[in-house]
Amino acid sequence: MGKPAAYAAIALAALCAVPFVAPHSEYAIEVLFLIFLYGAMATAWNLLGGFAGQVSFGHAAFLGIGAYATTIMIASGVSLWLAVPASALLAGVYSLVIGIPAFRLRGPYFSIATIGIGEATRLIALNWTSLTGGASGLTLASAPPLVVQYFAALALLVASVGLAAWIRVSRFGYALAAVRQDTDAAETLGVATTVTKTQALFLSACILGVAGSVYALHYLFISPDSVFGFSTSISLVIMPIIGGLGTVTGPLIGAVVYTFIREQFAATLANVDLLAFGILLIAIVVFEPRGILGIVDRVRAMRRRSRAAGAGADG
Amino acid sequence: MAGLYASMSYGLALIYGVLKIINLANAGFLMLGAYVTWWLFTSYHVHPLLAPLVIVPAFFFLGWGLERTLVRRVLGAEPIISLLLLFGVWLVLQNTAYVIWTGDTRSIETPFVEATVNVGGLQLAVPRLYVFAMGVLVLIALQLFLTRTFLGRAIRATAQDRDAARLVGVDVERVMGIAFGIGIALAGFGGSLLSLLFSFTPDFGRTLSLKSFCIVVLGGLDSIVGVAFGALSLALAEAFGVRYMPASLQNLISFVVLVVVLIALPRGIAGTVRALRRG
Repeated sequence: MGKPAAYAAIALAALCAVPFVAPHSEYAIEVLFLIFLYGAMATAWNLLGGFAGQVSFGHAAFLGIGAYATTIMIASGVSLWLAVPASALLAGVYSLVIGIPAFRLRGPYFSIATIGIGEATRLIALNWTSLTGGASGLTLASAPPLVVQYFAALALLVASVGLAAWIRVSRFGYALAAVRQDTDAAETLGVATTVTKTQALFLSACILGVAGSVYALHYLFISPDSVFGFSTSISLVIMPIIGGLGTVTGPLIGAVVYTFIREQFAATLANVDLLAFGILLIAIVVFEPRGILGIVDRVRAMRRRSRAAGAGADG
Repeated sequence: MAGLYASMSYGLALIYGVLKIINLANAGFLMLGAYVTWWLFTSYHVHPLLAPLVIVPAFFFLGWGLERTLVRRVLGAEPIISLLLLFGVWLVLQNTAYVIWTGDTRSIETPFVEATVNVGGLQLAVPRLYVFAMGVLVLIALQLFLTRTFLGRAIRATAQDRDAARLVGVDVERVMGIAFGIGIALAGFGGSLLSLLFSFTPDFGRTLSLKSFCIVVLGGLDSIVGVAFGALSLALAEAFGVRYMPASLQNLISFVVLVVVLIALPRGIAGTVRALRRG
């Protein structure tokens, strides 16, 4: 077992222990739950946006479909064990429906089209009142205990990060990296670029579909503006960029930072959090496009250099 | 509607043409233009029609400064980086507006805004006519500026081929700053016009900006005349669409048009015509 894997195992064991060691600190459990959920969502977005370089501003669509599918199915008596996979699959199928035409576009054009797709999906959800309840949203009667949710979100996080880590070193991951760096060159070298991008989108959408289920079961209330809202899509873009685009741990770091900033400002002023994210985004894009991980790398390199210089002076 | 759609999209097309970046912050500047108009009106009783006299120069310098300080740093990077940067700018503008002006809906009410005229038996709202006229006027002014003045020609040269422009002695860096400034000024002007027709919140402009993208893509990303055609096409598509579907789905039309056009005619109307002509 490598060093990162060992760290991950220790962290995981610690996180598993939290609800048993401190069963009464509900706030801490809630915050951790949110971090897991956001972490999984950010990791899912990063599969397409980071690994393949296809920045999507419409990923809330998949979260929304997962959340709505789960709520509607459970409300009509379908078992949870069937509803969650079905929601994931539905989000995945939807991603294929929109991905196949959208991937005819490249770079910024794809990104703009995804804004349109996200908004169109929200408008459909808002107006298909007989199915979605329109603007007043849908509610569920009861939630599973918080501890169960905690472990469900943790499991989703571990599964998606595991998938991301595996993809990163697989043939598929290299194909995605090739697409990101130069789509034409990748095509020339025999990478089926459209198929590769569509696969990444499908996986990303399935994870978001499950995240939607978890979201719906946690909040028990969903409306087009919450799950399909543009701000949800924004948060999915922001987290991986803060942490480090196209890395495995970056989206996790981003999710931690995002959740803390949000919790800090939630009590004071609305929208100050988004203002802070805007400034953070500008700063990162201009000064260190590799995010927090990039800054960590720089600091490490500086230390190594100064240590080397020190050793040289001593000798 | 067509005049309105056109005036809010010119800036987007100009910035794309010259800098080859998509100004995702356009919505933010539209919103800001509307708020400044409202603010001048309520605090200083400046007539909303005069507000552009302040807004256009102020936004020009704002845009110019933004290009100097931030946008210039990412011009050489992948296109997605500049998109993300301007996305950040948009977030900052939007949420600063929320903090300063809260999320309450604002609107400008003067006799002018409610006036109507009777033209050949049709009741027409004066502000709508005015906005349409402005859309046409800006088109003509911009076209003259771009074809008849030295600076305008330098902007077009830079848009066509940055390196060639540099070779013939155009100060490309300066031109790009000015073009960005003009683009932002046009967005502010568009926002000021919009405030005459609609009530607005800090989130104002997002739906409209999507329409702008749609229009600019329809027209071909770098053609000012194409933008006018794109605006007309979208306004017509919406007007006809509403007859066959509920009004609440009207906004859906532009998104569908956007996605369909992006996929079917990636070079826009102007580009397609040009390609056909070349045969």
